[in-house]
Amino acid sequence: MSDNLFGKKIFEYESIIHEKFSERIQNIYCKNFNEIHILTISPEDSNEVSYFIHDKLRCGLVTVICTDERNIENTIDWKDKSVNSKQTINFNKNWQYGFSLRLIFSSETDDIFFIVTTFLPNVDNPAYPSNVVRIPSAIYYEKEIFDMFGIIAQGNPDTRKLVLHERWPDNQFPLRRDFNIKTKNKIRLNKPYKFLKVEGEGICEIPVGPVHAGIIEPGHFRFSIYGENILNLETRLYYTHKGIEKLAETMTLDEALLLSERISGDESVANSMAYCQAIERMASIQIPKKAAQIRTICAELERIWNHLGTVAGMCTDVGFAYGSSRINILKEKIMRINEKLSGSRLLFGVNKIGGVKIDFKPETLGLILADLSQILQDFDNLVKSLHNTSSFMDRLKGTGIISSQDVQALGANGVIARCVGIDIDTRKNHPYAYYQYIDLENIQGIVDKIAYEVELKKRKGDVLSRFEVRVVEITHSVHIIKKIATDILDKSTKQELHNTPQTQNDEGLVIDNLKNHLQPYDSALGYSESHRGQTIHWVMLGKDSNKIFRYKIRTASFCNWPLIELAVQNNIIPDFPLINKSFDLSYSGNDL
Amino acid sequence: MNEKNVFGKGSKKNRIDYKGILGPNPKNRNKNEEILSHKRVTIPNPLKELHTTSENYKGKINIIPSKDFCDYEASGKGNEIENICLSNAIRVRNIENNSTQVTLDNAKCFLCGRCEEAYSSLFRMEKNLNPPAKNKKQLIDSVELEPQHPNTGSKNLSLNEKNSKVLDYEQIGNELKERINSLFGRSLAIRQVDGGSCNGCEIEITALNNPIYDIERFGVHFVSSPRHADVLLVTGPVSRNMVVALKKTYQATPNPKIVIAVGACACSGGIFGDTYATSGGVDTILPVDMYIPGCPPRPEALIYGLLSTMNKIHH
Repeated sequence: MSDNLFGKKIFEYESIIHEKFSERIQNIYCKNFNEIHILTISPEDSNEVSYFIHDKLRCGLVTVICTDERNIENTIDWKDKSVNSKQTINFNKNWQYGFSLRLIFSSETDDIFFIVTTFLPNVDNPAYPSNVVRIPSAIYYEKEIFDMFGIIAQGNPDTRKLVLHERWPDNQFPLRRDFNIKTKNKIRLNKPYKFLKVEGEGICEIPVGPVHAGIIEPGHFRFSIYGENILNLETRLYYTHKGIEKLAETMTLDEALLLSERISGDESVANSMAYCQAIERMASIQIPKKAAQIRTICAELERIWNHLGTVAGMCTDVGFAYGSSRINILKEKIMRINEKLSGSRLLFGVNKIGGVKIDFKPETLGLILADLSQILQDFDNLVKSLHNTSSFMDRLKGTGIISSQDVQALGANGVIARCVGIDIDTRKNHPYAYYQYIDLENIQGIVDKIAYEVELKKRKGDVLSRFEVRVVEITHSVHIIKKIATDILDKSTKQELHNTPQTQNDEGLVIDNLKNHLQPYDSALGYSESHRGQTIHWVMLGKDSNKIFRYKIRTASFCNWPLIELAVQNNIIPDFPLINKSFDLSYSGNDL
Repeated sequence: MNEKNVFGKGSKKNRIDYKGILGPNPKNRNKNEEILSHKRVTIPNPLKELHTTSENYKGKINIIPSKDFCDYEASGKGNEIENICLSNAIRVRNIENNSTQVTLDNAKCFLCGRCEEAYSSLFRMEKNLNPPAKNKKQLIDSVELEPQHPNTGSKNLSLNEKNSKVLDYEQIGNELKERINSLFGRSLAIRQVDGGSCNGCEIEITALNNPIYDIERFGVHFVSSPRHADVLLVTGPVSRNMVVALKKTYQATPNPKIVIAVGACACSGGIFGDTYATSGGVDTILPVDMYIPGCPPRPEALIYGLLSTMNKIHH
């Protein structure tokens, strides 16, 4: 990998961190186009570097990855990789591998990720000092790591089980390498979860779930109420925990792709795209342009049908059946377009490592564009009528308000961040696939861009704001698809006219020899923006570079779930379904 | 002018055709669409829609008898074919008369198409319906490949032939209605339970309620408590954390009750298999009356599955 793959900015950041923390870091280097890797000497140093990146460089924590590297010896050769780096310092040859902790930060202004790595000594009860006080969004990551690896975050105030529930034995940690995936533990009963108790006269609790009244995924909600007002809500999730990360460790790269599509059925394109990109970045390969276009069209179709589903669900939850029926018709139409394009109503089987599995014929694309225009027109009319329905608007206005401070502190993203006016979007901040070739902000013209910015300022974080964000994004996505489709159609007609020879890099759909570029124990980030928000995947290859050593998945739902607890406070119980639907979070994508 | 004239023997011009407005009279269908501001989108019969499934729809993997693979098991290459499937749905076995038997378990197949990519002359993804079954064994397709008479291979396609038989869907839809009426008065109440699915099956189940499929016109409706339900529609491989909740839901449902497993995960564990966190299928926890395969099954397949369930109880 040569220097010209990197932007200049990345080296500026590298120097800043190196100068400030030369005592605390062993090694610092750039990798995979936009990742700055910082290997610190001890967990305390790692925290100090993290605080600097979080507070001073204003980068949000996007995920914390723990890996059991106890039995890898001298295989991750940090010295080798430091070739790209400007400085190599304090390199400790006799480093003892144990559990590794990687804190990943994402810059909102530049296309850069910081990966702060530290190794914990290989002892019986490994521990590290918690980050929670300075970086509140780390709380759930630390709890998750305790459940899956048995590593204690000293100072994390919440020591209750998160992923595996109380019925799981205390001394078994599924993501450790020596844990057998087929282990069957007896289910222990009578060990209740300690919910936060709100006490006082007239205060009572309502338990809801895990089997809900509607056709939705399982989760438990514990309301403490006074009359109809919600004083506190505690969510208890992870009922759909299926051991996806552990399962991936038994799989080859191609097999794990199928798994990634089924992390959350309605985010299949976003998740498989993030996974494929991780592998492609590792191999330093750009997929063919046509493949990137197809991926992007499918990702936007996914965004449209999911947003339509959410808007329809919000109509149902306020009891406005007319709106929900009409929007559900549009959703069904998009799902039929999906079927026409990919053979699957949920867009399973679109992506492939190094490209895509499906191809669009120009004539199908033309038909679909016509369909989309019709759908958009119908949708615009419906939104107009929704805006004029006071019974609908009254329920949305001022319901389930979240503050931008909470959003920033807890690291929320996607629609939830944009509904309080924080304009973060992975498609803009860290462009990938075909998004790097299109001007996302100006795609609807300058007037719409200014209107969007004015609207953004007005957003208050209530259900109405989230409704408006989704409505705007549906229109935006249709325009993106139109733009890409025009690009594809232009190209194919040009070729017919001039009969220009096709270069392999431009016209194929898959890069076949990608796997030859993969190194054992290499790792990379993959990311995409699903309809819920930023999706981050991190893949580390095993000794056999066709096998997975560790696959860390973090979907937007994981970051956004804690916000629901805050949003419902001081609202009434009947508004909870509406608030929940306006967030539209995935249970399966959170529980894994 | 008296009442008699208006409703009785008035001139034909002035009479309002109430039939055309109120009832779905096929003769006046065009007239209806002129009167309605939004034309009716509900399909005449959800099962009929199957005929308009797009050409590339991933409906079902079919085994094609191909003489190229006759001696695969004998030469030890059978494992190669078996290993291509992530959920172990494919089996290649040597049976009597030197012939090779290839079986495909639709309960396990989650339609990824890897077998088609690798052995396109043996497996083919087609758009036909993945038929639900009361018994797991009925979900297994098998084809015998005889090396001596490669041309007569098609003779052994007994199960596949049954699958591809064109059914009169209109008739089936009416039958469903009749059976439901006779068993549960006029309705069938369904409680959906997510046993840790990826949400894909839920999306298709929700689609049953939209105006296009509109399952309520058949008397099938979704209820919010298991205590009101006749049917438990279970999706997902039943995650460990959901086992207790699923058992409680089953116990809360009054008798007689039916359990339907929806999707490859619920039928067999699917891609998630049987691990520390999953149980490997609903039937490891509860008695299952009907399996609806697919990843996820399309709405038409779900309705087809409901029909077949009623059949079982009827006999």
